Amino acid sequence: MAFNVLVVDDSAVMRQMVVRTLKMSGLPLGTVFEAANGEEGLFMLRDQWVDLLLLDINMPVMNGEEMLRRLRAAPETEALPVIVVSTEGSETRLAALHALGAAIVRKPFAPETLRDTIIRITGVTDAEYYGTVAVADDSGDF
Amino acid sequence: MPSTMELSLSRTTAATFEELALLFPETEPTPEQAAAGLDVTVSVDFRGPFSGRLVLSASACILPTIASNMLGEAGLRQPPLQRDALGELANVICGNVLPASFGSEVVFHLSAPRVHDKDEAASRDDDAPSAHAEFGVEDGRVATTLYVFGHVTAAAA
Repeated sequence: MAFNVLVVDDSAVMRQMVVRTLKMSGLPLGTVFEAANGEEGLFMLRDQWVDLLLLDINMPVMNGEEMLRRLRAAPETEALPVIVVSTEGSETRLAALHALGAAIVRKPFAPETLRDTIIRITGVTDAEYYGTVAVADDSGDF
Repeated sequence: MPSTMELSLSRTTAATFEELALLFPETEPTPEQAAAGLDVTVSVDFRGPFSGRLVLSASACILPTIASNMLGEAGLRQPPLQRDALGELANVICGNVLPASFGSEVVFHLSAPRVHDKDEAASRDDDAPSAHAEFGVEDGRVATTLYVFGHVTAAAA
């Protein structure tokens, strides 16, 4: 299974970093879409099939929290796996995002943190992620 | 003895450079690092229970390394991308130093990073820095300064 991913962040540098991390992670990637704010992201979701959303919080036009609320209110996106990738440090705000079903990855993040969170929330199995591993038959005598 | 804010700024700056830029800042710069100029400055404004600004300056010679470590080969060749990468580091430092200094219950809103022209001051004339940290990095150095404008309320401090 290949994942279509939407990365929503107002920083082109951070979008590029996230996409680079995704490509290095070995995750079976399909198309990676990018948007610069929540409004652009919602618009993109109308036309594109997306399996996973990586979302920043502090953005102009429409912030990530508002985008997430709108997603959860729409039947076609209410169950979309979402990872908030943000510098947000307020427990109050993070609790609100958790309540909306988002996983959180704080910036700065190690690539393996993002990869492990993706595996956890998408339910990708080890075999799908790493491929099947051939185990040598050890029943014979030495 | 450094204040809590100074310690938070120092730790957050070092951790951000290590994790995002894969560089290891040295708390005691060598004479060569200390002599390097701070040629590029970016800042991030924040507002919440009080407002302020985080300013990050760096030697021009380390920008290609920062950008290429964050973005790959493209970062080596494009100066605007190098300044944007520095801006993203400032954004992450700011987002992490505020809860570390003022508590995790407080909500702040951060503006997009801004690159300052060489002759443009990143601070207002009468601003006194609330915290400052400086490191040696590669052949240059970086400096972060946190400004808090006005009075910090007891609830936020």
